[in-house]
Amino acid sequence: MKWLRFAFLITAGAVIQSSALMNVVSVTDMHIKPDLLLILLVYFAINCDSYDVIIASFAIGFAADITGTLIGPHIISYGIVGTSLAYIRKVILLKHTRQQSLTIFATGILTYLIAIVLVKLKVPSATGELFRAFAVSIYSAILWFLIRWPVITTGKWIGVGAHRFGKKPEEL
Amino acid sequence: MARKHFKLSKLTLFISLFLFGCILFLLPQTATSKLNFAFIDIFGYFLNMGSSATYYHAPQSASPDFVSRQDYNRLQTAYANLQEELSEQKRQLEKLSNVRLTEPDPSTGLVLAKVVNRKENEFIINRGSGDGLKAGQYVLGDNAVIGLVEQVSADISIVRLITSSACKIPVKISATDVNTYFNGTMQGNDKKEAVILNIPQKYKLKAGINVYASPKAGLLQSSRIVGRISKCAPGERNPVVWDITVEPAYEFNDITDVAVIVLKMPGQL
Repeated sequence: MKWLRFAFLITAGAVIQSSALMNVVSVTDMHIKPDLLLILLVYFAINCDSYDVIIASFAIGFAADITGTLIGPHIISYGIVGTSLAYIRKVILLKHTRQQSLTIFATGILTYLIAIVLVKLKVPSATGELFRAFAVSIYSAILWFLIRWPVITTGKWIGVGAHRFGKKPEEL
Repeated sequence: MARKHFKLSKLTLFISLFLFGCILFLLPQTATSKLNFAFIDIFGYFLNMGSSATYYHAPQSASPDFVSRQDYNRLQTAYANLQEELSEQKRQLEKLSNVRLTEPDPSTGLVLAKVVNRKENEFIINRGSGDGLKAGQYVLGDNAVIGLVEQVSADISIVRLITSSACKIPVKISATDVNTYFNGTMQGNDKKEAVILNIPQKYKLKAGINVYASPKAGLLQSSRIVGRISKCAPGERNPVVWDITVEPAYEFNDITDVAVIVLKMPGQL
């Protein structure tokens, strides 16, 4: 994994995620937008070796936190869920796009739930928007079908995904 | 001789990063928010990119008899505020018939700011504590109250909009037919509206009535419009009270500049 390129990608992802450009793809009155960082989390968790996944998950979580107003909840939730996913994929390959999409949905729900609980712990007056978490997870899962190829291409540029299925069985 | 490459075990790595996350989580928000503000500071240009392309603006009509919806809203809000000020003046004049009132109040200061980023029910503005901003101050968008300052750094601040459930402000509803006001507390519903609960049903209220932010010592000197009643229904839990839904005076997406009310203390004048 080329970590400098990874850092660039995550920074770009965080900037795009919180930029006004994302309003173009937002839907409904609640401005539901897909979560690009969630998609990247699942992509890296499926395609990197588990050592790299641990670092990548916490780094993506940090990027998710820095775009918000509270630091900590997403680092913890992304770190735990991303690392767990790296071990789960040793049992279930998650090779097909539909499986990956479903994984994005499940990961999104779990990640947001943990983050909502942690935010509530720190700021009791904060509202946990469960419906929003559900909607964002679904939207991100659907979007995976459309942005799969650009993400895979970018992943190859970073140096992941090339050996995941077939070439390096010891990594599985 | 081969150089030995130092590498942490997976478990050690996970625990180290997890503890790092926990430490950041446990640090006070005032300390960690500097990171959020730094991010906005560095990438502010990119974060705001495309904001003008996002929203459709209707072309201006060539006819002089028509104004755009945005202009209409601005004039309507100014009218509502003036009407409110006029009735307040009348009341005070009745009380203190010989005292000359001065308007606008010299102690009221406005700090103009630009919206540099928008999130769910919050704005990031390009003014901070260096400009006299503090948490809790009222924020106006074209003369209507749109939210409260939530967090400030040296040069940027977060504004919590009135549609956020984390934003509670004291309001009064003007019922002109009975020439009186009802006080209540307005709280956002995390959608595009806010709600006022537990207003007794003995008061006749209907959609379209203006809702004003009540004056608050040190923060707001005179009432300012926040929105209009869009729905007035019997309470879900208690049918003898109204559950009132308020729509903001403005579409927040149209607002690019705001003004923060910074009241100066007598010593600062």
